[in-house]
Amino acid sequence: MKRLFLLLLIVGCATAPAPAPAPAPEVQTAPPPPPAYAPGEPKVVTLDSKAPLINIRVMITHGSTSDPAGKEGLANLTSDAITDGGFRSGDAIVTKEQLAEMTMPWGSGARPTVFTTARATTFFFTAPREVIGQYITDVLRPTITQPVFEAKEIDRLKNEAMSHITSLRTEDLETLGLSAIDQYVLAGTSYEHAVVGTETSIPAMTRDDVVRFYRDYYRPENAIVGISTSDAAIVAQVRDAVRAMNADAKTPPPAVAVSKPESFTGRHAVVIEEPNAPAASVHLGFPIGVNRKDADFWPLYVANVWLGTHRDGFGQLYQKIREERGYNYGDYSYIEHWSGRPFSLFQTFNQPREQQYFSIWIRPVKHEHAVHLMKAATYELEQMIRNGLTAEQVEGAKKKARVLYLNLAETVPRLVGARVDDAFFGAQSGFLDAYLANIDRVTPEQVNAAIRRHLSTANIKYLVVTSTPHVQNTVAQIRSNGPVWGKTWQEYEFTQAKLADGTPVWQIPEAKMPAVQLDAAWAYYPLDVQDVKIGNVKDLFAVGKLLR
Amino acid sequence: MRFRCSILLVLLLVTAAAHAQFFPYPIQKRTLGNGLDVIVIETPEFKDVLSFNTMILAGSGRENEKGRTGLAHLFEHIVFRHKHDTPEAYDPNIEKLGAFNNAYTWYDITYYHPLTFTSNLDRLAQLEASRFRELTYSERVFRTEAGAVYGEYRRSASDPGLRIEEILGDLMYGPAHGYGHSTIGYLDDVKDMPNAYKSAQAFYDAYYRPNNAIVIVAGDVKAEQVFATVEKSFGSWKPKKTPAQPDPKPFNGPKKQHETWPSDIPPRVVVAYMIPPYTPGTAESAVIDVMADLMGGETAPLYRKLRYEDQVASELFVDQGSARGFDARPLGAYVTVAKDKYDAQGRPLLDRIDSDVATAFEGLSSFSSQPGSARRLESIQSQLRYDILAGLNSPANIAQAFADFYRFSRDPQAMENVAQAIANLKPADVDAFAKKYFTPKNRVSVTLTPQGGAK
Repeated sequence: MKRLFLLLLIVGCATAPAPAPAPAPEVQTAPPPPPAYAPGEPKVVTLDSKAPLINIRVMITHGSTSDPAGKEGLANLTSDAITDGGFRSGDAIVTKEQLAEMTMPWGSGARPTVFTTARATTFFFTAPREVIGQYITDVLRPTITQPVFEAKEIDRLKNEAMSHITSLRTEDLETLGLSAIDQYVLAGTSYEHAVVGTETSIPAMTRDDVVRFYRDYYRPENAIVGISTSDAAIVAQVRDAVRAMNADAKTPPPAVAVSKPESFTGRHAVVIEEPNAPAASVHLGFPIGVNRKDADFWPLYVANVWLGTHRDGFGQLYQKIREERGYNYGDYSYIEHWSGRPFSLFQTFNQPREQQYFSIWIRPVKHEHAVHLMKAATYELEQMIRNGLTAEQVEGAKKKARVLYLNLAETVPRLVGARVDDAFFGAQSGFLDAYLANIDRVTPEQVNAAIRRHLSTANIKYLVVTSTPHVQNTVAQIRSNGPVWGKTWQEYEFTQAKLADGTPVWQIPEAKMPAVQLDAAWAYYPLDVQDVKIGNVKDLFAVGKLLR
Repeated sequence: MRFRCSILLVLLLVTAAAHAQFFPYPIQKRTLGNGLDVIVIETPEFKDVLSFNTMILAGSGRENEKGRTGLAHLFEHIVFRHKHDTPEAYDPNIEKLGAFNNAYTWYDITYYHPLTFTSNLDRLAQLEASRFRELTYSERVFRTEAGAVYGEYRRSASDPGLRIEEILGDLMYGPAHGYGHSTIGYLDDVKDMPNAYKSAQAFYDAYYRPNNAIVIVAGDVKAEQVFATVEKSFGSWKPKKTPAQPDPKPFNGPKKQHETWPSDIPPRVVVAYMIPPYTPGTAESAVIDVMADLMGGETAPLYRKLRYEDQVASELFVDQGSARGFDARPLGAYVTVAKDKYDAQGRPLLDRIDSDVATAFEGLSSFSSQPGSARRLESIQSQLRYDILAGLNSPANIAQAFADFYRFSRDPQAMENVAQAIANLKPADVDAFAKKYFTPKNRVSVTLTPQGGAK
């Protein structure tokens, strides 16, 4: 704003001495030049915590969906190069090693860290209250405004990104499946590639790309700041620091359109061959048009709590698949993407997305059980859609949802993180601030209407990760569309008997009958998958699409 | 005059800081007649929140029966199935009450930590007491849970970290000692768990006793009310002397083991040392507390060399193995080797990393004479202090942080003693610790490489 004022003043001075013009002839004049660009303001949200350490986060509302084609992973590399690539302080350069030494006495949180996701990149800064002014001046401000992007650090970070891809492919079966289903469901959009990038794009990125990305997107108007104190001096100091990001920019930041997922009809499956997978991981999903800003979010949230609360024994999927049948460790469903699974027990913040998808995650099971449980998960979802929830079930889910609040809102950093997300969505009421009130307001009618509006089993993408010896059988079972049982008859431990004519039969005790009937319903449920693709794990994270 | 005043002020501040309580909340303790310690930490700023925790002072480290590893963890599962299929069943009643409810098992402890609203105190205490006091379950449910644990094993088995943990335990303690296997147990034992019903019963009978447990309640509560409620519900839990933990056989290093892994992962190099049992408030345990940052932090010379200068490690951390770990355990550096460097250099690279790590640890015997050591240690001491404070950010975390230290000596001052010991630490203490424990005799090295070797 200040710069615009100065510019007008100069124009004023230059024109003042000119003699009074003669009456102008009637000619067509050129349109006035567009006004010079003035950077917008960051959004700032605060909390009023008295805790001894102050938590600050700066979110840039761009992430991997802003990666240029062929440069997948650039948002991630840029943010890492900001925290690790050194910054200018006066005439000197502070390296990451010096930064680590400088921040150490203030606690581990004082060393800036970053979390890059599809739609947002968030920097975290925590320091003791008694040194916060010095910390903002010496650490926070230069980190985001004076990065030097040392070339050797960028090379190192690129190597680390490549190692990360190797680890994703080979080490943690669960993270692999969760990452792949995200790409698969949102195929055809800028969400399709992994945040870290691909093995072809990472080597292609240069320091110039990083500098350009920083110049383009790290702007005050793209920033949302969360601070755990409302102390005016601290807030002003942080706001000033954020305003100084690329303050000399002459043009507005580019707008990036986030594309809609490619439409698909029917059911599709991908079976990923992970040569030595010790178990199979099963996922299904489809895009939904609901996010935290929408009126249907809370009714759908309650429905999802009923079906598959993450890492909790409450959900139907967990009850039936794990609790009653012991197939695996847990079975959950989601209406928001959420990286940090499997390890985090609760939704973590600062990974907002406008485009969400519904998904079900069956944690590792015996390879032989994978297709049976694909059927089970779809069947249970279909039952919920068809029958809706009773008033009693909705009440139970609301109670569970209220309890979840205890953990979601547990700590000061969580409260700050949620408020930053609220600002991202421009939500009317805060996710945590109005959580309990929003849950209380949900009615069974709203829940069932939201289920019908947004969930359907007509169009589904399935993803299974399994080991080499099991790929063909898994694919054959899906293609055959015939019955597939989970447990063997021996595992049911029924007694054997013979009919009068000598035919051997299993005797099913009456008490076990309901469970066996449901098993049969799952086994005979038709998957009706139109096409099954097979991919090797090496085809993942290779190019900007799910499979090479 | 002005100058003198400010000196005086500084001195006063330092003195005040030295005497100030580190732990910001008052600790209130009562021991019931059956030996159960009850700790209450009032944190009224977390309105309506109740964190009700029970720590059983036994975990997988007490599993000394051959072929029956993993029972402590299985038991953690079973305890949630108390009185299943009856109106008093634990899980549905907790659901009715409304609580976040989970637990974890580690080498020396099993920790149950439901979180709910304060108004549920009475009912929650009844439900918790009932499952610890008179656990009831059928063999069928036992088998179902055993299946879930097998699922959990499969989930972890794709991570080479579990295999490394198994090897380290085995090399240091041997298969006969409870510390010689990982908490989840050996695969064969986990598979056979459905048949371990009797051994599991014996484990419960021996260790789930009030004299071997601590109840820690934190949140928006009043201590006297909590004491009365816990007395009413836990008071009839019968005590029994718990079996003593056998001492591990003396360790005689150095030992090395190599392992291959079926998928094409980046190799791992782990170098670890046998360290003494953790004793809060001692200089030795304060050295253990700072070790993660001293050796594995971003300012550590070893970290910088391997991660930044040579770029042969994509990850390096030092597991400090302090309070949350088991009482005596390996402390060491866990290195994930950069795959491209390994493919180019092969096995000699792993040997070099192994030697670099060992040299760095064993070189700490002259830490005090290294330039800048006093300043680095001071930075770490300050960092650790703020990190512990930063972690006290919710009733559940406050209760857990306190219990982690309290359980060793059952001294309510345990956390103060730890903070004091960390503050008092001098470089010479690091020298002394390293001379005693970071020696080849105490060392174990494990390497793990992809089956096909370097490419």
